[in-house]
Amino acid sequence: MILEMAADALGDRLAIGTRADGLTFAQVRAAARAVAVRIGEEHEHVETLAMIDPLSPLVPASLFGAAWAGVSYAPINYRLPDDQMQELLRRLDPVVVAGSHWVDTTHDSNAEFHPLPERPAVLLFTSGTSAAPKAAILEHDQLLAYVFNTLEFGSAGDDEAAIVSVPPFHIAGVAALLSSTYIGRRIVPLPRFTAEDWIRIVREEGVTHATVVPTMLARIVQVMEADPDARVPTLRNLAYGGARMHKSVLERALHLMPETDFVNAYGLTETSSTVALLGPDDHRLGLYSDEPLFKNRLESVGRPVPGIEIRIADADGNALEADQAGEILIRGDQVSGSYVGTDSKVDAEGWLHTGDRGWTDIEGYLFCEGRADDTIIRGGENIGPAEIEDALLQHDAISTAAVVGLPDEEWGEKVAATITLRPGVEEIDVDHVQEWVKARLGSLKTPEIIELTDELPQTATGKVLRRQVRDDLLAKYGS
Amino acid sequence: MPNQMGKRYTCAECEATVLVTKAGEGTLSCHGQPMEIAQAKPLPSSD
Repeated sequence: MILEMAADALGDRLAIGTRADGLTFAQVRAAARAVAVRIGEEHEHVETLAMIDPLSPLVPASLFGAAWAGVSYAPINYRLPDDQMQELLRRLDPVVVAGSHWVDTTHDSNAEFHPLPERPAVLLFTSGTSAAPKAAILEHDQLLAYVFNTLEFGSAGDDEAAIVSVPPFHIAGVAALLSSTYIGRRIVPLPRFTAEDWIRIVREEGVTHATVVPTMLARIVQVMEADPDARVPTLRNLAYGGARMHKSVLERALHLMPETDFVNAYGLTETSSTVALLGPDDHRLGLYSDEPLFKNRLESVGRPVPGIEIRIADADGNALEADQAGEILIRGDQVSGSYVGTDSKVDAEGWLHTGDRGWTDIEGYLFCEGRADDTIIRGGENIGPAEIEDALLQHDAISTAAVVGLPDEEWGEKVAATITLRPGVEEIDVDHVQEWVKARLGSLKTPEIIELTDELPQTATGKVLRRQVRDDLLAKYGS
Repeated sequence: MPNQMGKRYTCAECEATVLVTKAGEGTLSCHGQPMEIAQAKPLPSSD
């Protein structure tokens, strides 16, 4: 329906690609119809269309074509080793994989496809930072609730363009397609992200909007700091999310791009993407205000979007007051929490239990500390790794950091950190780094072990694989 | 004037809201009155 609306009202507008080579919304509709017809004629028994390509016109054609054919759309990580990919496809059976040549044909018929598909709209495999990935189920109604509650149809000017470097198999990649189609904004794909390419394409294509994950922003900031000409004057809006943004990186970015509006988007696969937003004014207030309430908001993920309720709960599910930390629960029409084959994370009152720890301030701004599972418990004290990582990142020589708990006979757990150094920095004195953290956070939170590495293990969107960080440290240092 | 594609219209009396998904010639009415166009309150772009 969304693509139909866009093609009807904005058919000649560019939907995806460069100004030289892009496809219009009408052309994307024709390609999506061809995908739907092909599924209906050649793959009748299939229930899911899998898509294993980086972002290109095949992606929206598959997303919308699958809906018209009444099957689910399952984008899959194209960088997975073959055996893992085969395993995921086996779990999706009966399935067909979209072929790159499928968009070489188009279809013009006005035939109505399935107006009320029975199959879920999208199946997304979650990050799998711990066990085997689960397939999260997103229904048409849930995705549409996100679109209708947060967006205005055709509201993008025809001069707008969004650079998309988040992959199609991540919720942010799915949301980017739905949103840009509904508002009528051109997407410029950047499937293989480098900070240099990102800056170059933003300049070349007059990109006005971007969504990045925090590790991408950190690299962009590093390039901009090294080269004063590496600037993006056309960029009106920069949204970020998908993992924790460290305040020191954000502040540097805000200073480097003062004309750009920054937006923090907090959401999960299970919530059809964004449920809370921290807007541009809050960012500027956070940077320039002396009032602690506003200053601290730079670390907030903002306030709930329309249609969403957020509750902070204790271990028994009771709502807590402002400034009290607990589990973040979310409720609303865009929230799913269902998975293929495993239990839902939604309770009897419709609250999704996110497994994230956080609190809200007196005006309802949400602060997210991190996964509850990542909390380190040392001598009976709860220690959130994020705070220690933030402190480490304030150091000029340190680029990224991951803090975990290792078993300790005396204290239960001890704090350990793995860090990477900024480009050009060869080495660092571990004692000095410990003193750095101790001066800021005290000795309880000071890492006893500090390990140097070239790159932290991460998912495709820059979420640190903490389990692997911990395993690597255990292997080296024992327990 | 005919209702516009993609706009929301509300009824002043009963607060029913309609989102137009296909353009046409007609005008929506509710409780005997043409429905009013709802003002958009756009959020900042997040994706």
